[in-house]
Amino acid sequence: MSILERYTQPAEQQIPTVSHQGEIPSGQPTCTIRIDGQEVTAIPGEAILRAAQRAGFTVPTLCDDEKLAPAAACRMCLVEIEGYDRPMPSCHLPVQAGMVITQASDSLFKLRRQNLEYILSDHNAYCMPPCQISCPTHIDIPGYLELMAKGQHVEAARLVKEVLPFPYMLGLVCPKPCQEVCRRGLVEEEIAICQCHGYTGELVMEMDKAPTPFPQEPATGKRIAVVGAGPAGMTCAYYAALKGHAVTVFDMMQKQGGICRYGIPEYRLPKVKLDKELNSVWQLRDTEFKGGMMLGRDFSIEDLFTQGYDAVFLGIGAWRSNELRIPGEDLPGVIEAISYLRQNAEGDPVPVGAGMRVVVVGGGFTTFDCARTSRRLGANVTVVYRRSRKEMGAHYSEVDDAEHEGIKLEFYASPVRIVDKDGRVGGIEFQRMALGEPDASGRRRPVPIEGSNFTIDCDVVIPAIGQLPVLDFFDREQAVRKTKRETIITNGALMTDRPGVFAGGDAQMGTRTVIECVAQGKLAAKAIDRYLAGHDMAKVAQEIAEEEKVPELIDIVPYKPEEPQVRMPMLPFTERVQSFQVIENGYDKAGAEKEAARCLQCVCPDVGRCHLQRLSLEHGLTDNRFHRAEPVDYHDYEYDFSHDFILRDLNKCINCTQCVRICRDVIGANCYGLMGGGYDSIVTTPWNVSLSYTDCVSCGACAETCPTGALMMRERDLQTYELDVVRCIYCGDCVEVCPHGALGETPNFELSTYQRFGTTVLAKEELAVARSWKPSERIPLDGHEDMRPPEIRPPGPPRWGA
Amino acid sequence: MIEGRGTATGDPLPASAATRLLAASAAEGGDVRSIAPDELIARVERSGLRGRGGAGYPLAKKLAAVRAAVPASGREPLVVVNAYDADPDSPLSQTLIERTLLLVAKGAMIAAVAVGAREAIIYMHPRAEAARRALEKELGMIEGSLGGVLISIAVGPGGFMGGEESALMNLLESKRAMARQRPPYPAENGVQARPTLIASAETVAWLPQIVARGARADAKLVSVTGAVARPGVYEVPLGTTLGGIVDEAGGATGELKGLHVGGPTGGILAAVRADVKLDFDTLKAAGTHMGSAQVRAIPAGVCIVNEAARLFAYLAKENCAICVPCRVGTKRVQGILESAYSGLGRESDLAWLDELGTHMERFSLCGFGITAPSILRTTMREFADEYRAHIVERRCPTNTCSPVRSRRYETMTQP
Repeated sequence: MSILERYTQPAEQQIPTVSHQGEIPSGQPTCTIRIDGQEVTAIPGEAILRAAQRAGFTVPTLCDDEKLAPAAACRMCLVEIEGYDRPMPSCHLPVQAGMVITQASDSLFKLRRQNLEYILSDHNAYCMPPCQISCPTHIDIPGYLELMAKGQHVEAARLVKEVLPFPYMLGLVCPKPCQEVCRRGLVEEEIAICQCHGYTGELVMEMDKAPTPFPQEPATGKRIAVVGAGPAGMTCAYYAALKGHAVTVFDMMQKQGGICRYGIPEYRLPKVKLDKELNSVWQLRDTEFKGGMMLGRDFSIEDLFTQGYDAVFLGIGAWRSNELRIPGEDLPGVIEAISYLRQNAEGDPVPVGAGMRVVVVGGGFTTFDCARTSRRLGANVTVVYRRSRKEMGAHYSEVDDAEHEGIKLEFYASPVRIVDKDGRVGGIEFQRMALGEPDASGRRRPVPIEGSNFTIDCDVVIPAIGQLPVLDFFDREQAVRKTKRETIITNGALMTDRPGVFAGGDAQMGTRTVIECVAQGKLAAKAIDRYLAGHDMAKVAQEIAEEEKVPELIDIVPYKPEEPQVRMPMLPFTERVQSFQVIENGYDKAGAEKEAARCLQCVCPDVGRCHLQRLSLEHGLTDNRFHRAEPVDYHDYEYDFSHDFILRDLNKCINCTQCVRICRDVIGANCYGLMGGGYDSIVTTPWNVSLSYTDCVSCGACAETCPTGALMMRERDLQTYELDVVRCIYCGDCVEVCPHGALGETPNFELSTYQRFGTTVLAKEELAVARSWKPSERIPLDGHEDMRPPEIRPPGPPRWGA
Repeated sequence: MIEGRGTATGDPLPASAATRLLAASAAEGGDVRSIAPDELIARVERSGLRGRGGAGYPLAKKLAAVRAAVPASGREPLVVVNAYDADPDSPLSQTLIERTLLLVAKGAMIAAVAVGAREAIIYMHPRAEAARRALEKELGMIEGSLGGVLISIAVGPGGFMGGEESALMNLLESKRAMARQRPPYPAENGVQARPTLIASAETVAWLPQIVARGARADAKLVSVTGAVARPGVYEVPLGTTLGGIVDEAGGATGELKGLHVGGPTGGILAAVRADVKLDFDTLKAAGTHMGSAQVRAIPAGVCIVNEAARLFAYLAKENCAICVPCRVGTKRVQGILESAYSGLGRESDLAWLDELGTHMERFSLCGFGITAPSILRTTMREFADEYRAHIVERRCPTNTCSPVRSRRYETMTQP
């Protein structure tokens, strides 16, 4: 019997099927088929897909629901079967004994991928927001902005802390990759995303106990040593501790914070507040900090394992400045950038003072930290960079601010030698550069211009052209390898060649931004947790790569009234010289909420539950080739958000017809159908009316089965349901149709049936009869043939809270 | 070519052993109920009759399959005669019914007897109103019953997909005309799960003379359209060359560029290939198919890329929307072809079209999508220089293309 035929049979004659998780019932005749070379026991006549799912194969599909007759519409579940000249839909084709099936092959993968690309090309909707994609930690930015706009700041902080434990710190120092791609920028100006989470971070650090994204899990008994209390190490410690592991953080410096404390100057990041925020780690159970302990000097990796640690994370940062490699570099007056910043942060005397002429070479964040620090110490500062302003590594706001603070900028110049004057620095000679071909990083390579040398007279030269990790301890460590660029080698799960030793942050990547280090800390915590649970690390690396992939599917910009960014209150430039006061003063509550409300919320609420998104990711499809053509190539439907419970967005519909079938065949309301013709066909209500005007019973089965976000349940803030017992007729419809089983046959429901139909509580069979009663028939009740019992208003269950 | 329709003029060709369908008599065949069904099927097999609907499946096999499916099914078998003429330029069934009236009904009756059905439905296009009225009148005179078989007329929804056999089944079940995945084939599980014989009007019209005289089914109705002197429906022996068919319709009115064979989903052959024979297997080998048996003469001044784009635009409008490759794929191919002749083409587009064509062939649900890429395959093979002229030199060799697009399909890059 074919599948289609089976669905036309009365229910009792249908082949007993089993759910794909279930077992085949005993006595059921079975046969053997081969799927991908593996022998599989199947029931003759059931869909190949069912048999494959039961055997543990994940055949991709977008239009299959066990409750429904197959449609074979989405074409994702097609498999190759011997004897058929083309792939056949496994959801539709019945199993026959001896079938030889290939469900996964390169050609099928490509064809399915093409199919998905087609589907996506007419899926005119937001998926992941670009800000979330470009942020290395993938914070749910629209999510926390929405919460902030509603005034729920603690919840917003909790959401941020799911991936970023230190929102205040990053609000100040992050280079804001998210803001560069913000779609609000296409309307007028991007959202001040970082400052917004900065505000929530500042708010919650004043609480006695900082909110955590998840409750800390029960102690696992495992111990983790984190080396380095910088952004990567502290993040790793935070998430490892939340997972229930005991964490000890070692650092060579006396205090926590790493480069954020000792590298970033006070005016950018006030250290009192930094401490408050980082202390949220020590508020977790089983966490401790051991300052003044340096790896390689005071202990080795082996020592940590001897002391009973089960895993080690190396987040030791990059503390050694690159050398200029020009003559005169060892003259007094040439200062190492990192030590300079550290000395200044610790309050030690520094070799820069009022009236001195300082030249800082470079274009990154450290360059400007040195330059602006020197400026605040009263020096006359010049920053020299070999390319243009556009190529600078530092954020443009940093460069602009530096200029406004009175720092001179010199571009297209590369140092040639440092001028010796009386045994110390007297100036520095540069050569003019021109931009040539782009190099590996995409930036154009500077080419020297002959005979264009010039000299800048100065007292101090600060080379700030990048840093390297200090890996001297490697001399005594076996089994941990480093690259030529002095970084630690790890696999995709951030584990080094030595099992149990992980590395991340600047020490693993080379100098990068704080946010990237935080992202690595989070990944490392995840990897360590799985390592301690005994997972296969090659698999974990794969899983992590999978989890980190994000699709970027389509881009539409809805109209929004223009509303400029809420400006961050800044310290006036005139007050910045001679003062290390923090320059970003932070939003107030009203400002933060107003700014957060500007977010376009260009995100699909179904992200994460969407099967189309999942399959796209699984098929490596993060873009498609059918973008940016004429408007006639896409559909732009209006939303139907008029229904009380079900939201319809036809733009996301992929015509799988699951809602049509479930509404017609299971629920019986028959609200949907395929309308229009050809490419313009779309599943919608008759005449595309509001769902409220159909026979919809608000059961939500359609939203439940929808593979995308085309049909979604409206989010509700439900406190309690209140039942109006005077109006309730105990029809039981709510119980019957509830797709989530939220209403069941509780004793109350039995009671109501009793009240309605007779004098005794009905047995199950009688209840069934009572249920099938139609108004035209007499009520079949033993001994009460002659009359319906008088209608008595039941007292009903007590009202809530009464 | 899509708009309007051919006129049914011209005379049938003589010179075949069998009586031409257009001149056959409905009186032939006598009382077939005295012949055993197995014998009926054997006679059909001997005649070599292949389905005239386009796919060329032997009718005897179909009859036998329906007959065999009846006991297991436990349902009444049914005969559906597809007289729909999905291709508006190829009104073969309409012409046949107008000319011979009860011949198709008689054939349906014989098919019904062969499979043991008591009911036959003649399924027609709403546009063939005159033919339908004439047939209704004739059937009315015999009270709708022919040799004990009840014959009724059903009218389809209009549009190209209404003629697809599984869409037709859905339609007869009062559903939207959408294709169904096969297997199961209609022979086992057709209209209302009944074993159903679906055959085209032209196919069953052969049955009376086959049963009565053992005629060989060796002629085919064709619709000749385009740049010919006398366009219309003709009957030619199977194996006639395409050039011969064009000559039959009075010859070309000017220099020809190509011959479009098989209706909207058929391929376009270069005019120099006029020696290709009209025959199920030969056409398939040439990259097209019998389809609606339309032979359209494309004059030299027509741009082939434009022509292909127009065909895909038609298919994007007419598909039933059940499966993705057809619903979206036809639209996307149309878009790529349009950008090619709007001066936005890229050399990589050719490989891309090829890839999309393969996908459509492999992943489509019904014959519509499976055959549609033949347009791409044949034109890209036989008119490769025209594609290159549009894409590489950005010019139209016939000087007829004007841009219809200012933007082409691109990959997305974030701002």
